[in-house]
Amino acid sequence: MQPLLEITNLHAGIEGRDILKGINLTVNPGEVHAIMGPNGSGKSTLASVLAGREDYSVSEGSVVFKGRDLLDLAPEERAGEGLFLAFQYPVEIPGVSTANFIKASVNAVRAYRGQDALEPAAFLALMRERMALVDMAPTFLSRALNEGFSGGEKKRAEVFQMAMLEPSLAVLDETDSGLDIDALRIVASGVNALRSPDRSFVVITHYQRLLSHIVPDVVHVLHNGVIVRSGGKELALELEERGYDWIRAEQGSEV
Amino acid sequence: MSTDNFNDYVSSSFERLERRLNGHVNGPLHNLRRRALRQFIDVGIPTRRMEDWKYTSVINVINDAQFSSEKGAPAPAPAALPNEDVYHIVITPEGLDSAPFEADGLTVEVLTDELVIADERVRSTIGAILPIDTTPFVAMNTALHTTGVVIRITGNVTKPIHLDLIAHDASPDPLPSPRILVLASEHASATIVETVRSNPAAVLLPVCEIECQANAHLHWTRVLDDANNRHISAMAANVYGNGSVTVTTCIVDAAFVRNDVVIRLLEPGAQGFLFGVSVLDGQQFADNHTVVDHVMPHCHSEELYKGVYDDGSTGVFNGKIFVRQDAQKTTAYQSNRSLLLSPNAQVNAKPQLEIWADDVKCSHGATTGALDADAIFYLQARGIPKAEARRLLTMAFAMEVLERVPVESLRQSLERRMEQRLSR
Ligand SMILES: Nc1ncnc2c1ncn2[C@@H]1O[C@H](COP(=O)(O)OP(=O)(O)OP(=O)(O)O)[C@@H](O)[C@H]1O
Ligand SMILES: [Mg+2]
Repeated sequence: MQPLLEITNLHAGIEGRDILKGINLTVNPGEVHAIMGPNGSGKSTLASVLAGREDYSVSEGSVVFKGRDLLDLAPEERAGEGLFLAFQYPVEIPGVSTANFIKASVNAVRAYRGQDALEPAAFLALMRERMALVDMAPTFLSRALNEGFSGGEKKRAEVFQMAMLEPSLAVLDETDSGLDIDALRIVASGVNALRSPDRSFVVITHYQRLLSHIVPDVVHVLHNGVIVRSGGKELALELEERGYDWIRAEQGSEV
Repeated sequence: MSTDNFNDYVSSSFERLERRLNGHVNGPLHNLRRRALRQFIDVGIPTRRMEDWKYTSVINVINDAQFSSEKGAPAPAPAALPNEDVYHIVITPEGLDSAPFEADGLTVEVLTDELVIADERVRSTIGAILPIDTTPFVAMNTALHTTGVVIRITGNVTKPIHLDLIAHDASPDPLPSPRILVLASEHASATIVETVRSNPAAVLLPVCEIECQANAHLHWTRVLDDANNRHISAMAANVYGNGSVTVTTCIVDAAFVRNDVVIRLLEPGAQGFLFGVSVLDGQQFADNHTVVDHVMPHCHSEELYKGVYDDGSTGVFNGKIFVRQDAQKTTAYQSNRSLLLSPNAQVNAKPQLEIWADDVKCSHGATTGALDADAIFYLQARGIPKAEARRLLTMAFAMEVLERVPVESLRQSLERRMEQRLSR
């Protein structure tokens, strides 16, 4: 089986500062990977580099997505190829309604894939259906995207967008942070509803909580720009219990 | 043409005008013209040494006007109001193109000495709402206007009134100066859309005076959407108890624009709204000068001007708000936001608040910046190509003003025009 995503020895940084220092990660179709790790370890940087944020420069290594060199593609091409990033901090877009934004996004991705734009009626029906997945009220459609949304509402809107774009690989960067207990369950069940044998997830989180809803196949620990440990879902429980000090200690002793 | 030459040109134009006016040389309008001419000759064309013209050099613009006797090309139909059922008032340098008419709470007449003599309200407003010492161009328009129109709004006018200003038509006049007086009676209301058909040889110098009586509501939308257009205008509105005037200036395309707009809130409950959006590129230039004068208590004003500047274009915004000593409980808000799409574009923004009353709520803010890189990336990450992301965000920026345009079909055509602009 060809991996969906294959990251090999990825080094990346910003303004001359190295942040990712040799990431290796293989995600196969249908798998769920969790990435945990202390603040500042480089989790969001990895997500940004995958999504194609220009501020970061890749100095070494490769990323192959569906057999293509991902790093060679513009961010919008990556989205077209089926990569989705749910942002840790979704950006407010004043003046662009959620509905128009989603329409522009879905149709851009469809155009990239050589598909026709959706008919307005079919589109509206699809939006309503996918909003229901994360229990979002239709009133959000007419509001400017993310503007004035609460922290939890922004996270739901990200999952709604993911549901609309039907990616092959979704990277969820702390989509659980800022969610109350009910919202966490709703978002998790929204994600689970989208799980399929040909769709994979990379779930970045600090908490085991989310992983008891979205059960990962593999858990990785990112520390200081490298994946220092990978294991089964038990690893998340162990981290929850013991924190990161023992990982740090291990790392320290290895140096 | 030097300033002196230009003064000579204005004087000789005035003499030509006088010769055509057989018989009326002592009428009240004509006397006003004479005073205005003297005022203009005294002050002359504004230079950048004058505070209000610091960023705006008009002499070159005037120089570019072609003082020849060649006739201009026929004007194209205005693009801004497709298929809209309107009262169409066509104003050319030769006069009112449509016959004076009366309908549905609306009367349109030509401004003449006879009318000024016969009509107390015209007499007390013409040259009084915009006195000849307001700007040199007001003086020039007052002296030289060949077409004056009085528009009376006496009821609820349901169809939009389309003021179609034609800068050239078959006329050789390089400085057409239409004069418009709008008199809205108590409880009357109307929506006015002003468009301009220009040609590269002319500089259009319109002056509009508005009297909005108690409980009357006027919404004036000015559309400049012709890349040839050079436009120096002045407009002022006197607003009385619980009346409101809204002026929305949409500059979608224009070579050179200087707009002076004054709103005076003269009785409690009067409201003034000023909105503007400019989308410029190349070497285009637009200067919006506004004054909101809170004279009486319990009045409200709101002002939002937005500009999108690409290439080497330049925007100027000057917003004065006066709150006079009696104007307690005033609420006055002003905001000016500029989007610079190119490192060579520039904007000069100056809010000026002068407040003499103590119990007021006033605010002003000015921002200038580029498109938000985080927002562009966010859109790209959602599959939207970068150029389209930029366009979408720019349109969103402009829409905040565009969406206030009261005529649906006009709003849509402006939106399309702007989208075309941003794609070129
Ligand atoms: N634009 C930037 N400029 C400078 N430093 C940056 C920038 N972006 C990230 N960094 C630095 O890179 C390191 C990794 O940041 P990153 O956001 O990837 O961490 P993270 O693992 O996602 O942390 P958290 O758990 O707090 O979200 C941090 O030390 C951060 O300060
Ligand atoms: Mg992070």
